[in-house]
Amino acid sequence: MMKTNDGLSERGISYDELLARLEDRALMILNVMPKEIFVAGHILGSVHLPVAEIEAKARQRISNLDQEIAVYCAGPA
Amino acid sequence: MSLLEKIGYAHVRHYQGGMAEWSERGAPIERSAVSPAEPALRAAPRQSHVSRFSWLERLASWPLERLIGTWLGMIVVFGVVYWLAAFGMGWSLRAGSDWIKPDLEGLETALYFSFVTALSIGYGDVIPTGALRIPAVIEGVAGLLIFGCVISKLVSRRQEELTEEIHRTTFDDRLDRVRTNLHLVFSDLGVVQRLQAEQGALPGQVLRRLESAVRVFRGELQTIHDLLYASRMEPDEETLESLLANLAICLQTLVEMHAVSLPGMDPSTSLEAGLRSVGTLAAEICGDCVPRQHAQALKNSMDQIRALARRIV
Repeated sequence: MMKTNDGLSERGISYDELLARLEDRALMILNVMPKEIFVAGHILGSVHLPVAEIEAKARQRISNLDQEIAVYCAGPA
Repeated sequence: MSLLEKIGYAHVRHYQGGMAEWSERGAPIERSAVSPAEPALRAAPRQSHVSRFSWLERLASWPLERLIGTWLGMIVVFGVVYWLAAFGMGWSLRAGSDWIKPDLEGLETALYFSFVTALSIGYGDVIPTGALRIPAVIEGVAGLLIFGCVISKLVSRRQEELTEEIHRTTFDDRLDRVRTNLHLVFSDLGVVQRLQAEQGALPGQVLRRLESAVRVFRGELQTIHDLLYASRMEPDEETLESLLANLAICLQTLVEMHAVSLPGMDPSTSLEAGLRSVGTLAAEICGDCVPRQHAQALKNSMDQIRALARRIV
């Protein structure tokens, strides 16, 4: 994957952009951690879909394949 | 992210900082653990408690060294005050029938009286007179409070050490139990797999044995899952590596048995349900999703487990 000069991949989203777009309905913020971790604290407005359920439930939960999605988990990969 | 792309989502972007960076930088977080009404009900009495006794709570939160230093400093300051009163103020400390004098011996007596007062001993051999009774009472109250905090700190420090020791022992026992059980599960699966290869169909008794092994495996998988996601204590990397390796090898055997779809097994049986439950839980063991940072080898083991799990779910 290509790296940009801020160290993020082209398909990455930075902290600043995510913070600025918290109210933007065009961006879905997706938390893929287990339920107990999600319940303990998550980014404001996040949608929850654990990694284990992505294959089974993603189409049902996110019907639009063109939906812009910012996906995150616990910390730096 | 790759999973979403595989399904067909074209605009997936990864926020690499994750919860770690988000919370560290103080960005807005929401929690959904309690209902909105509950915190309001709890907050009211706590707030009034804090405003009334906040100074006492602040005092109790001081470190032990600071408390002892303050207590000793207070004794010296009050001692000097008692001694200065001997410089012709009309009232002073009285030892027996004599007033203390403004000299070195008088200072010694004043400091002695200050210590006795701060400890609330009250021998009565030295007594304050006139307005000097006011600082003596104040010192008595302050001495009790500070000394009480010192004693409480010492007791709670020891209690914390004991609790920590108990937690550590329980934790180590728990890890031993997980290791032993995974080993037993692996042996059982080996036997069942051999019978499956030899006989094709499994007799009911063997199926029940397999069912029991899957149930035990599900329990230990949950323990490892909790260790990775919700445990206050953390095993060292070597122990975790061995646990994950044991987990992976058991899961691998289950996947192989599942692939030949266990002759005679009805999809509605508790065995099939147990396997699905194992698959769902194991698929959550993801190197990038766990809250702590681990060595790359451990992350790879976790991802290997997740990949195996997807073959069951």
